[in-house]
Amino acid sequence: MQVEPVAALSFAVMVTFVVFSIGLLRRIAIYRRGRPRQIPIIPALFRVPRRYLVDVHEKVDRDRLGSWMHILVAGGFLAALLCCCLTLAWPGEYFLRLAGLVSAAAMLGGASLSILRRSGRIEGYPASPSQGQWRILGPALGFTSLGFAGWFLSSGQSWSAGSVLAAGLFYTLAAASWRAPLRHALAGVLNLAFHERPGRFAESPDRGTALTPLALNEPRLGVKEATDWNWTRRLNFDACVECGRCEAACPAFAAAQPLNPKALVNDLARACELPLGDYDGQGHPGAPTVTTPTRHAIIPGFVQAQTIWSCTTCRACVEECPMFIEHVDAIMDLRRFEVLERAAIPAHGAAALNNYLVADTPGGDDPARRFDWAAGLDLPLVSDIRETELLLWAGNAAFDSRGQRTLRALVGLLHRAGIEPAILGEEERDCGDLARRLGDEATFQRLARLNIATLQSYRIGMIITPDPHVLHVMTEEYTAYGEVPRVLHHSQLLDRLVADGRLGDLTGMAGRITYHDPCYLGRYCGEFDAPRRILSSIAGELVEMERARGRSRCCGGGGGAPVTDIPGKRRIPDIRMADAVATSASVVAVACPNCAVMLEGVSDRNAEIADIAELLARAAGIET
Amino acid sequence: MAETDILFTPQSLGTLTLKNRFVGSAHEPAYGEGGLPLERYQAYLEEKARGGVALVMFGGSAMVSSAWSPSFGQLNLGDDRIIEPFKALSDRIHRHGAYVITQVAHPGRRSRFDSRNWLAPVAPGPYREPEHRAAPKIIESYEIEMIQDDFAAAVARCQKGGLDGVEVVFQAGQLLNTFLSPDTNQLENEYGGSLENRLRMGREILERTRAESGREFIVGVRMVGDELARGAMTQEECLEAAVMLAETGLIDYLNVVGGRAGELVSGSISIPNMSFASAPYLYLPSAIRGSVDIPVMMAQKISDPRTAARALADGHVDLVAMNRALLADPHFVRKLRDRRVEDIRLCVGANYCIDRIYAGGDALCIQNPATGRETRLPHVIRPSGARRRAVIVGGGPGGMEAARVTAERGHDVILFEAEARLGGQIHLASAIGWRKPLAQIAVWLEAQLRRLKVDLRLGTKADVDDVLALNPDIVVIATGGRPVIHGIEGAQHTVSSWDALSGVAAFKTRVLVFDDHGGHQALVAAERAASNGAEVEYVTPYRAAGIDLGGTNIATHLANLCRTGAIITTSQRLRHVYPENGRLIAVLRHEYAIEDEEREVDQVIVECGTLPVDGLYHALKSNAWNGGELDYDALRVNGAQTRRVNPHGQYQLFRIGDAVSQRNIHAAIYDAIRLLKDV
Ligand SMILES: Cc1cc2nc3c(=O)[nH]c(=O)nc-3n(C[C@H](O)[C@H](O)[C@H](O)COP(=O)(O)O)c2cc1C
Ligand code: SF4
Ligand code: SF4
Ligand code: SF4
Repeated sequence: MQVEPVAALSFAVMVTFVVFSIGLLRRIAIYRRGRPRQIPIIPALFRVPRRYLVDVHEKVDRDRLGSWMHILVAGGFLAALLCCCLTLAWPGEYFLRLAGLVSAAAMLGGASLSILRRSGRIEGYPASPSQGQWRILGPALGFTSLGFAGWFLSSGQSWSAGSVLAAGLFYTLAAASWRAPLRHALAGVLNLAFHERPGRFAESPDRGTALTPLALNEPRLGVKEATDWNWTRRLNFDACVECGRCEAACPAFAAAQPLNPKALVNDLARACELPLGDYDGQGHPGAPTVTTPTRHAIIPGFVQAQTIWSCTTCRACVEECPMFIEHVDAIMDLRRFEVLERAAIPAHGAAALNNYLVADTPGGDDPARRFDWAAGLDLPLVSDIRETELLLWAGNAAFDSRGQRTLRALVGLLHRAGIEPAILGEEERDCGDLARRLGDEATFQRLARLNIATLQSYRIGMIITPDPHVLHVMTEEYTAYGEVPRVLHHSQLLDRLVADGRLGDLTGMAGRITYHDPCYLGRYCGEFDAPRRILSSIAGELVEMERARGRSRCCGGGGGAPVTDIPGKRRIPDIRMADAVATSASVVAVACPNCAVMLEGVSDRNAEIADIAELLARAAGIET
Repeated sequence: MAETDILFTPQSLGTLTLKNRFVGSAHEPAYGEGGLPLERYQAYLEEKARGGVALVMFGGSAMVSSAWSPSFGQLNLGDDRIIEPFKALSDRIHRHGAYVITQVAHPGRRSRFDSRNWLAPVAPGPYREPEHRAAPKIIESYEIEMIQDDFAAAVARCQKGGLDGVEVVFQAGQLLNTFLSPDTNQLENEYGGSLENRLRMGREILERTRAESGREFIVGVRMVGDELARGAMTQEECLEAAVMLAETGLIDYLNVVGGRAGELVSGSISIPNMSFASAPYLYLPSAIRGSVDIPVMMAQKISDPRTAARALADGHVDLVAMNRALLADPHFVRKLRDRRVEDIRLCVGANYCIDRIYAGGDALCIQNPATGRETRLPHVIRPSGARRRAVIVGGGPGGMEAARVTAERGHDVILFEAEARLGGQIHLASAIGWRKPLAQIAVWLEAQLRRLKVDLRLGTKADVDDVLALNPDIVVIATGGRPVIHGIEGAQHTVSSWDALSGVAAFKTRVLVFDDHGGHQALVAAERAASNGAEVEYVTPYRAAGIDLGGTNIATHLANLCRTGAIITTSQRLRHVYPENGRLIAVLRHEYAIEDEEREVDQVIVECGTLPVDGLYHALKSNAWNGGELDYDALRVNGAQTRRVNPHGQYQLFRIGDAVSQRNIHAAIYDAIRLLKDV
């Protein structure tokens, strides 16, 4: 019997499809080893196109080279594949072949870019994309595109082109549902469809930054083994393309602390599916990658404890990831288990959590002293007046002289505007942010409930706080436990007061100012502009750091990192200060008491660190 | 948490809550005008409130009775005219979230007879107080009653004036102190004898005061924790008195001091100068605090942040009072609070402030000329908005202050100093152990210059070309002086005190130090020579050693010289020095008797002051748009210097400090700030 190349390729494509399908079923089985989660399938799949075109594109496009690479290679591949399938029916069709050729050419171009990108040869291009299998993917796609080209040129007559194509398709497609890198296309699409945080996508009005409440009566608190995650979370890790964007963004990695978010995601993917192909990217600095994982507990089987405790929960990785992988959620699940089930937490973490138990404050400060700094300012106590337009939530910074400086400036500004903020006095408890980020969900929930009860027992119009951690936890996370009044960051209220001219004449300051976006104000709460508007109204010149706004670099103060204090080779605040110094600004404006402490702690800094409230008070001639 | 954060915890005092633990100690600045605290006095106190202290005490020894005479410019609480200025003052303090309290006192024998109403001072004993030397009459019972009425009436005026309280003075050799001390109380009635009797006058006054003021008003007592004098109250007795006072329930706090006034050395004991260690008497409030249940405070050389934090953290006091530390830097508290510790200008204990009071002047700080001149000189120099280039020649205290002020104004400053280090004559002045802290003046200024990024060109003697090459807009000549030896025949056989102190000339066996100047310089040289083992004779043509020095500093010099066996000769002038048999003969002449004597010595050290080094100044005048001239009318009110005499001039030229004429550290620094604050 005479076999035509077309028939042979058709057969090969069918085999590819069958192998792919078996792989897919197997993958689904692997995903489903996790805890169940019910989600309607069809409506979910309908969300994919928009999420892909809007949300994914926005992230991919931040790296122009990567973006072109992907458009060419993925678009070319899909188009060539379509043309190829059609040529199986109409092998000689001229326009089909022409279109196929163009697509193959585009694919070849994209594949070349992919090779270039991972080659490490482009100057100034990050060294973060992984090697290994990912380095094979580019050549394999180039090889496939040549197969396509030969196929179309020969009108489906060339055996050699057909073989190349069959092999290429088999490697890229069939193996995709198994282990090959093109797995990301499948997992990526599914991840977009079933993502656990709809708030992450433009379609939703939510921010998608709140940690998920933990039911404290669950038999297992947090995540010990990969099977403690539900199937959508397991799928989430599988989507990683090892592009290294998260790695390049991670402050802990930059400080050579033992955390590389990309390596972490791959550790977790391996924990979900053993054995998965070797990871061939940069590991966790100073911590050897676990090579012979034990099957069960993720820590220390796959990940070392110091890795999860290095994270500042800054969300820079999450913000960068084109595959919408949720590194912080994963880290938080692991932390919750470590703390709630194993009582294992490094350095001063345990002391902070103990302090919470004893004093309701992470530093062990007596809550009765929270407003010590306000003695002499005559701020009314809510418990005396029962009702107030504006409540000042001082936060933990009230115990620290650095934070007190900001608070006093803020009160001075409010007084100037004729606003008399009330305070809770010793009724203000810690907001619980630190406890929650350290995984102590029990303490967090207790404090959240107590604070909510206190707030609900008075009539409070609005809350203002200089602490973005308070802002985030109260606006995004307390809602799971009860209603709280509207909370504004001080920059938001001050911005309005400036706009309305209620602070009187402001004298500009000479010199350059740069603004450091606090993670919990910017990435977490989406406020980038209010502080900038305030600063432009008083600064001689407002300059931006290279990493600014949503892509700002953390100061190192979040997520309990200062208390867990995992050593690296550098300190995160030093790195951030170097970013600021590069702008040659003489003042670094901050909008978070933690940032102020972290950056002011940089020994050789050559620039003043000041909260926007302090700068504004200075401009308004208010003595504090 | 910083060690010093504890100082920023609130403290209740009577019915008040103080925002932190810092109290400005009451002292007499002699800024009053006709016994009233008017603009100058008020601005001075407001600066302390602005600077962050929680409680501003003032009115050192303010007098409740207008009959007797003040001896050092005290306020007069014996007249209703005080009420209006008090109202203005208390508003100005309250505006900054601080509270304000005045002392209420009767001077007793610490007074004079020959002024105001020419009344004999009154006291419970007949003996004179050595510091003011007036002999009192023994107080009679009608006078006791009258003075008690005066206290009550004065307190009522304070209350009407909006003050938050009063501090009744039981110390400092004033009337109530002399009642308490067994050696000054010779009464044989119910006010003398037992401790209870000696305390009676004070207790009755507190009862009257409390009855007048009610509970809402703060009434405190400043008393001695140990009189530190023979025959006077011991620590045990003071402790007993403190407990008795606290147990009356009449007072809100105790302010404890070590030492009293009553001996010539008292001033230097109770206002410890730089020869004393930090917080020398902290054990006194500490002992009392354990036995009473009201807040206890102290002010005696608790003058740096760590000592203050330790005093509080270790439980010695509830409140830290400071006096000179705030004279040197009224923004001490605010800077500490804002973590600008390195910007705090620390008191060096030079006691220039108090010695001026003893000499009948006003209190001024040796290193901070803005203190007491708040209406005209700023404590915080604001940027000018312009950016000019200034060249300062000379890195002594004046030149450094000029550089600091000019740099704070936002200009680019280049400072030339011929020596390899900054500080100028301060290094000579601090050349003996106990004077070492004086160097801190230069240390602070230098740190400020480094913070302000002043271009320091050390080891560089600038000439006219160097200055002009920089194309300056402002030039300041602060080249100081060089020692002069004047009116002595055979001067070539003598050495200047500069050479002696800088080590250029080694000390010989028998040394004569001649002081035709009257400041610290010759005394320092004499002490240094004596401590190097020399046999020293100090000779001065004036009628006292260190004629220009005040009581608290001369005490240390005289004690040190006495301990080394040095001889002090006054009213003798060195006329002639000549060599003979390998030694030197110094011929002295008595200034009044006009008789000569001779001394055979190995070395003669002479201090006649300095002559200005002003060559550069004269060379630069012709190119200056002000020709180096000053507008004296503006200078009188510390206004801006705008005089122009040369339309083609390229820069404004100032000459300051000893480059003008030999004066002192304060004068040099004052020149600098008043001339450069407006550039
Ligand atoms: C210029 C001057 C004047 C003073 N006058 C008084 C006074 O009138 N009444 C008083 O109780 N203490 C007076 N004192 C003492 C201060 O209150 C304080 O006790 C002393 O300066 C020691 O504290 P310090 O080391 O913080 O300066 C005076 C001190 C100075 C320097
Ligand atoms: S949240 Fe920040 S610190 Fe944590 S892994 Fe991501 S980038 Fe790194
Ligand atoms: S986690 Fe996301 S950002 Fe990081 S390497 Fe994977 S795909 Fe890239
Ligand atoms: S003059 Fe001297 S003792 Fe007095 S405050 Fe100034 S530095 Fe201190």
